[in-house]
Amino acid sequence: MTATAIRPDTAAGTLRATRRRRSIRAIVVTSGLAVTVSALFVLTLMLGSFRLGAGEVVGSLLRLRDDPSVDFVVRGLRLPTAVTGSAVGLALGAAGTVFQQLLRNPLASPDFVGISSGAGLAAVAAIVLLQAGGLIVSGFALAGALAGTLAMYLLAWRDGVAGYRFILIGIGVSAFFDGLVGFVLTKAQIFEARQAAHWLTGSVGQAGPTELRILLYALPVLLPLAMLLQRQLRVMELGDDTARGLGARTELNRAALLATAVVLVALAVAVAGPIVFVALVAGPIANRLLGPATGGVAAAALVGAMLLLASDIVATQVLPTPLPTGVVTGAVGAPYLLWLLITTNRQGEGG
Amino acid sequence: MTRLRAEGLTLGYDGPAIVQDLDVAVLDGKVTAIVGANACGKSTLLRGLARLLKPRSGAVSLDGGDISAMSTLDVAKVLGLLPQAPLAPDGITVADLVSRGRYPHQGWFRRWTEGDHAAAARALQATGTAELADRRVRELSGGQRQRVWVAMVLAQETDLLLLDEPTTHLDINHQVELLRLLRTLNAESGKTIVVVLHDLNLACRFVDHVIAMADGRIVAEGAPADVVTAELVEKVFGLGCVVVPDPIAGTPMIVPT
Repeated sequence: MTATAIRPDTAAGTLRATRRRRSIRAIVVTSGLAVTVSALFVLTLMLGSFRLGAGEVVGSLLRLRDDPSVDFVVRGLRLPTAVTGSAVGLALGAAGTVFQQLLRNPLASPDFVGISSGAGLAAVAAIVLLQAGGLIVSGFALAGALAGTLAMYLLAWRDGVAGYRFILIGIGVSAFFDGLVGFVLTKAQIFEARQAAHWLTGSVGQAGPTELRILLYALPVLLPLAMLLQRQLRVMELGDDTARGLGARTELNRAALLATAVVLVALAVAVAGPIVFVALVAGPIANRLLGPATGGVAAAALVGAMLLLASDIVATQVLPTPLPTGVVTGAVGAPYLLWLLITTNRQGEGG
Repeated sequence: MTRLRAEGLTLGYDGPAIVQDLDVAVLDGKVTAIVGANACGKSTLLRGLARLLKPRSGAVSLDGGDISAMSTLDVAKVLGLLPQAPLAPDGITVADLVSRGRYPHQGWFRRWTEGDHAAAARALQATGTAELADRRVRELSGGQRQRVWVAMVLAQETDLLLLDEPTTHLDINHQVELLRLLRTLNAESGKTIVVVLHDLNLACRFVDHVIAMADGRIVAEGAPADVVTAELVEKVFGLGCVVVPDPIAGTPMIVPT
């Protein structure tokens, strides 16, 4: 009996050590990501047809120097792009990982479940049919994302949802919306069609100041909320029955998590268009860094910002012709998606 | 005295009622098995007792209060549930999974405490899974995995424990191992355990009290030696058999004819 009386203490010690290791890793990874994002942010401000040093950029940002021409380039021209990249990336990264954990499927990214395509359809309709631009397009995109979510909810979420069914309905809804986008485009004049197609590719550079401001007001509320709800996510992942057995209010949690994630995605899409794959890959990359099944929302958000800032630098500075950001994220994300499809299929765990 | 009881309980999903007007009193400090043929409503009854299913009529009471009117978190501190198909997130470790059983004892901002560590450690220890703490749940055998899930519910530290067919998909060795574990938990900490079982022989061998169900109703209940007869097996499972004493334990053993 003495032997078994001692052993729980050692087991507790092991658990304590494991937990400490994990929190240290989480702190190191998250701060490392934050540093990387800041570096990319500064780099975005340095690069362009008129190159600046890091000192000049930081000095201008912190208002330590007074050089009107540098201030104009940094704050006037490049800051909106850098802020957009970070904000949209944070929103997509956080929302993506919430979706994936809640639906227990790495394919359950907002890109695939009808939300982005709902936004795309509404925005294209606004551009083509109403000859709208700027804020109206973004407003339509926001409404479209919410309508897409509602469509998904009515079709799939009603009875509580799991795995494949949701993904399949999402792909169906997306295909339906994409088909309608194609139809709307055939009705368009060439100028509007080009504008619409550009919007659909998604680009950090296309953000207008008003949409961006809305996102910037929303992020300080929604990101902490998503991080707070992570506690619920951890039990929701175990299945509805288990979560309810543990005393979680599953319907309420699901509604809160989905609403937070959907609004994040909708606002991000309204700002920069449907930039693909960022929401899909941010969560899995964060999990790789943090350790399996940790699901850090903050880390995923930072990975999203990192990806988007890096993609935008590649799209606008590295490539010979500047391209929309969505082209680069697509080129990076597509191979990942293939790999995901192959490996989940092999393990037979796709659902 | 019984802490968990149902009165006039009628349960169902979308269609007709599956469980009709049942009265159940769960014996404190005992191991009870709910047995019956497939689709007789035994899992439904368990879900009803665990407040996962709202009664169409009647009520479930816990410690004298209506369970559906109580805060679900408060219930979770007294009553633990292992459902039929719990889901382990991809790549999760045993320690992480078991720790999630502490959910009802933690608040939105409360940090992980020594008490939480100790409870999770006791749960690992009691189920013999402490050595597996750093392993991934997916890599484990079926029997080990089921013990890890039991540990998760034990970490919840509840006096009552409901388990929905925990032996399904396990081979006979691991079925026996799991039931022995439940017996030990009951003996050492006086936990009240209700377990849904398919196998009547195993139920007779390992539990104190049997509730036999057929077509959503309770056909018989009592100590296995008192209620398990050839007539009952015929009535519940539609199987002709003789009942003989188990050569080891002397409990009723069903031998098909």
